[in-house]
Amino acid sequence: MRMNWKATWSVAALSLALSGAATAQDFAGQTLVVGTWGGDIERLLREHAARPLEEKTGAKVEFLLGGSGDRMAKMYAEKSNPTMDVTFQNIYEAPQALADGLVMAPDESSPIYSDLWSGMNDGCYAMSLVGLGIAYNKDLVEEPVEWADMWDPAVKGMIAMAPYPSSEGDGLLGVAARLEGSDEHDPDTAFAKVRELGAPALNYTSLDEVFALMDAGEVAMAPMISGYVLAALKEWDNIGFAFPTDPGPVLVRDMVCQVANSPNPELAAMFIELALSPETQQAYAEELLFGPTNSKAVLSAQAAADTINTPEEVESLLQLDWPYVISQRSDWTERWNKDVLGQ
Amino acid sequence: MTARGPASWLTAPGVALIACVFLAPFALLVAMSFWSQPNGTLLVDPTPTLVNYERIFSDGYYLRGLGRTLWLSLVTVAVSVVLGFPVAFWIARRAGRLRRLTMAVMLLPIVCGALLPTLGLVNLLSPLGIVNGTLKSLGLIDRSIPLLGTQTGILIGLVQAFLPMMVLPLVAVLDRLPPSYEEAAKSLGARPAQVWRRVVLPLAAPGLIAGSVLVFCASLTSFVTPQILGQGKIATFAAMTWQQASLVLDWPFASALAMVMLGLMAALGGAVLVLRRGARS
Repeated sequence: MRMNWKATWSVAALSLALSGAATAQDFAGQTLVVGTWGGDIERLLREHAARPLEEKTGAKVEFLLGGSGDRMAKMYAEKSNPTMDVTFQNIYEAPQALADGLVMAPDESSPIYSDLWSGMNDGCYAMSLVGLGIAYNKDLVEEPVEWADMWDPAVKGMIAMAPYPSSEGDGLLGVAARLEGSDEHDPDTAFAKVRELGAPALNYTSLDEVFALMDAGEVAMAPMISGYVLAALKEWDNIGFAFPTDPGPVLVRDMVCQVANSPNPELAAMFIELALSPETQQAYAEELLFGPTNSKAVLSAQAAADTINTPEEVESLLQLDWPYVISQRSDWTERWNKDVLGQ
Repeated sequence: MTARGPASWLTAPGVALIACVFLAPFALLVAMSFWSQPNGTLLVDPTPTLVNYERIFSDGYYLRGLGRTLWLSLVTVAVSVVLGFPVAFWIARRAGRLRRLTMAVMLLPIVCGALLPTLGLVNLLSPLGIVNGTLKSLGLIDRSIPLLGTQTGILIGLVQAFLPMMVLPLVAVLDRLPPSYEEAAKSLGARPAQVWRRVVLPLAAPGLIAGSVLVFCASLTSFVTPQILGQGKIATFAAMTWQQASLVLDWPFASALAMVMLGLMAALGGAVLVLRRGARS
C-alpha cells in the first residue's frame, strides 16, 4: 500500500503544478465521454486519469458506467455518430471492434506504445493483464491445484462457472481442449471435456455469491480471473487461488480503445496516455491486483507477487486465438447452453 | 364532430409519444428481424432474408426453449387459478371490513415491481437461504437442495409475481354475482359441488379467462423473475432473446426471436377473441 500512497501523492502534486500553470486551457467547455466499469476501476481512473486531464485542459470528463457488452452495443448503434470517445473493452471484443471499424488502431509511433509489453496491443491498447486461474475451497481440494483436479469425481457437480459468453468460459474451453491434447480450434473436443464436469453448481454473477457458497462447502472450485478475485479473497481464510501450470493460466487482458470518429479525439488520446501511464498502472496493481501493461510501472513486493508483471510471467500464460474465438461466439453460446447447461 | 374536436387534440401528445418511443422502434424491430449478421462481423447486412426465422424453426434448441416457456406459463396459470379462486371468492363474499386491506396486500406485488420480491425469494430459496438453512439445522439434509436454477424456483417466483392478475378480474366478476343465485340453485336441490360446477364457475368464466390471459402473457414475456431465479440455467424465450441481443450482439436474430414471441401472443389474443365471440353467439 505504501507505493500506492506515493503514486497518489505524486499525481496530486503533478496536478497542482499543472493547474498552476494556466497554459493549455484550450479544451474548456468540451466533455470527454469515457465508457468503463463502475466501482474501483472508475475511482482509479477518475483519480489518476480524469482529474489530471481536467486540470490540465479545462475539459470535463464524464464516465459512462456499465458492462463492456453494453459499450459494444452502444458503439455499433452509434457507428455513424459516436458519442463515446474512449471505451474499455475485453480482450475478445477489441479485435472485433477494430475489424468492424469502430475503434482506431493503436498508434505504433506514440511514445506510450513502446512502453507497453510488446505484442499486447491487439485491437486496442492493453490496459491490464490478468489470468484465468482456479479459486478453491482449501478443505475440499488438495494443493497444488491443477486444471485436471476440476475433473476429479469427488468434486463433480461442485464447480461454479461464470455465465457464457465470457472470457472465463472461453478460457475454460481452451484449457479443456488442451487437457485432451488439442486446442480451442477443436470445439468438439473442448465442449465434450467441459461437459464431463456436469452442470455448474452455480452460474455466478458476483464474487460474494460464489465465495459464500465456496466457504460453505457447496462449491469446491471455480475458474476465475485473478485481480479482483485475489483482492476479495483476502477476506476468506479457507478459500485459495491457484495459477495452474499444466497448462498455465489463460491470459486475459482489459483493453482501452479510442472510438473512431469520436467528438474529442485529442482529449481521448491524452486520456488514454494517462490511463496507460506508470502511475495509473501502479494504482491498478496495488489496489486491484491487475497486472500492469506498462513496462515502466514499479510495484511493491506484495503487488508484484500477486500480479502478472514480468515478460517471463506473461510468456508462461496460455494465450488463446481470440479473433478465432470471437468469430465462434454465436455458435459456442448455443453449444454452451445445450452441452454445458443441458438446455 | 364539434364535441370530438378538442378531445382528439388532447390525445395528440400521447399519440406522438407512442409513435416516437414505441411504433418507430417497433417498425425497426420488425425490419431488423429480416436482416442478417454475416460471419466475422457484428455489423448487420440489411438485405431481406428469412435466415433468422429458418434458424429458430429448424433448431430444436429454440423450439425447446419456446416449449419450456409455454409450459412454465401454462403451469403458472393453472397454479394461479387454484390458489387465486378461493382468495377471490373470499374477498368478494366474506372479507367484509378486511376487504380493502386484503385488496391492498394483493396489489403489493404489482406496485413494487418484479425485482424486489424476486430478490426476496433469492434469500429464501438460495443454497444458504432460509429454506435450506432451516432444513439443515433440523438435520433433515446435509447438502442444500437446489431450488434456484430449477423450474420449480421459477414457478414459485412467477406465481408470486402474477397471482394478483388472476385474483383481481375474478373479484370483479364475483362481485357482480349475487349470492341469491347460489341459494336458488341449492333450494332447487343442487349439491354444493353442483352449485360450483353449474352456477358459479360458468358465471365466473369471463374473469377466469381474463385472468388466465393476463397471467399467461405476463409469464411468457417475464424476464427478470426467470433470469434471477433460474440463475441462467433455465433458458426461457425472453432470456434467449436477451442473450442474443446483449451478449452475442446478434440483433437481427434477437429481433426474430422477439417477433416469434409477439406472434404467439397475437395468436393467443386472437383465439380468445374468437372464443368469446363464439360463446356470446
